[in-house]
Amino acid sequence: MAAAMELRCWGADWGLPSVHSESLIVQAYVKFSGAKVTVVPVDWTWKTLTATVPELLCGDSAVQEPINILNYLRKQRFNADYDLTARQGADTMAYIALLEEKLRPALLHTFWVDAENYANLTRPWFASRSPFPLNFLVPSQHASAALSRILLTKGEAPLHGIAEVEGKIYSDAKECLNLLSYRLGSENYFFGNLPTSLDAFVFGSVAPLCKASLPSSPLQSHLRQLGNLTSFCDNILAVYFSPDRPGPPPPVQDTMDANLQKLTQLVNKESNLIEKMDDNLRSSPQHKPHRPDPKPSLAREQSSTPA
Amino acid sequence: MTLVAEAFVSQMAAAEPWPESATLYQPLKEDQILLSDCASSLAVQAYLRMCGLPVQVVCRANAEYMSPSGKIPFIHVGNQVVSELGPIVQFTKAKGNSLSDGLDDVQRAEMKAYMELVNNMLLTAELYIQWCDDATAAEISRPRYSSPYSWPLSNILAYQKQWEVRRKMNAVGWGGKTLEQVYEDVNQCCQALSQRLGTQPYFFNKQPTELDALVFGHLFTILTTRLTSTELAERIKSYSNLLSFCRRVEQTYFEDKSS
Repeated sequence: MAAAMELRCWGADWGLPSVHSESLIVQAYVKFSGAKVTVVPVDWTWKTLTATVPELLCGDSAVQEPINILNYLRKQRFNADYDLTARQGADTMAYIALLEEKLRPALLHTFWVDAENYANLTRPWFASRSPFPLNFLVPSQHASAALSRILLTKGEAPLHGIAEVEGKIYSDAKECLNLLSYRLGSENYFFGNLPTSLDAFVFGSVAPLCKASLPSSPLQSHLRQLGNLTSFCDNILAVYFSPDRPGPPPPVQDTMDANLQKLTQLVNKESNLIEKMDDNLRSSPQHKPHRPDPKPSLAREQSSTPA
Repeated sequence: MTLVAEAFVSQMAAAEPWPESATLYQPLKEDQILLSDCASSLAVQAYLRMCGLPVQVVCRANAEYMSPSGKIPFIHVGNQVVSELGPIVQFTKAKGNSLSDGLDDVQRAEMKAYMELVNNMLLTAELYIQWCDDATAAEISRPRYSSPYSWPLSNILAYQKQWEVRRKMNAVGWGGKTLEQVYEDVNQCCQALSQRLGTQPYFFNKQPTELDALVFGHLFTILTTRLTSTELAERIKSYSNLLSFCRRVEQTYFEDKSS
């Protein structure tokens, strides 16, 4: 029904489908909602300078910014938030605002402003993925945009320099990571058993920090202490982005006790979900999602495995 | 402030009780103060009243320049000066008054998230409407902002402030938005708040927290301020539980104030 959709984003590295935070958010949401989108990396093209990344092209229209792209996909009936209650939808908005205000400045600082990280990791990576002569322009353009964003939003430029706001943004970011960790608890995803747009946002923001080999980052060491956030990222990578499995497969069956407990919980929740889905189908709401339906097959597979 | 200085200040703050002579500074109420500053100031006043801490409100034309961070409002307590709701909440906590002690970790995470939602959406929308919308900027914001000063200083200051705010809007990606989109964002934010509040008296059931103070400050100011169009107030009025929330907080905490 829809024209072929194309997503322009930065390329893959460090074990992630994309190193760019915003591109990663959109790619994760695309996988969660089952949308048919071809991913076109802008590496080594002139689009690194001219295009705003990430960008979704569908027919004649081009959509930019992760929030707008997610809204557009929802309108095309690729909706990963279909099962959320109104209150959970409100919570999603609030947590996304928290990520934007508290975590984003510190992430920008870690990758683009911190001298050691920028010189050793970020600039070489982006410069190596841009064609000559853009490799001189693109990284510094991003870096100055990041610096001005941090100063304008967090400090009273030109009164404060970057040194004064550094301490504050890092402590805010650590607090934000702690809050996300409390909210996630021991679950796989933030709302129930299936990932939603909030999971996409958190994954996109946290995964680069988790996986990049940063020379100096107190924030990264703080994140590594929060075990549930790192396993959240690893779980999504394993389930949705591993190369040998094309779609969302059933969770990997380990023989460890903790996973077995989780499985039994999942089985119970799954049967409730099936009942709810049945009701939904019977009452036939306005917008049905196009996501391929793994729920009945999941339940059937899992009911045969517990010991 | 650096982290070390902050820790030092909270140590000193914890040493003394809240004095009677605490004052809150804001720009002149009748002529100068703008929507966003008035909202922040009302939020802080509501928070202090909810804590039961007395504070006198003093209006000064140069309040913005007196503030340590350049933002309104700021309070002068004993020999310390603290500005903005976040640091003020921490300051009062160091003195032993806190509204959010009874919350568990997940609830506290939710509270902080919703406070950021209000800051991210409502405050930014207020700033946008005041300074990036040409009609409002020319008729209301610039004249009011520069009213205590004479020409040519008034022109210079007003345009400087407008330029600063527009730069900030561009940096956060709001520069390209139209007024309609901004109203729609405010609508979504209010919808989220309304759904979170539901039928409870306060956001975290029986007791008000700093989130309630912040939401009250913004919503009440928007509802009672006259702008070039009533669109913004209309959007909020469509959520009846938010209206009754504002009325409840006003009656409970601001009854004796003759406004």
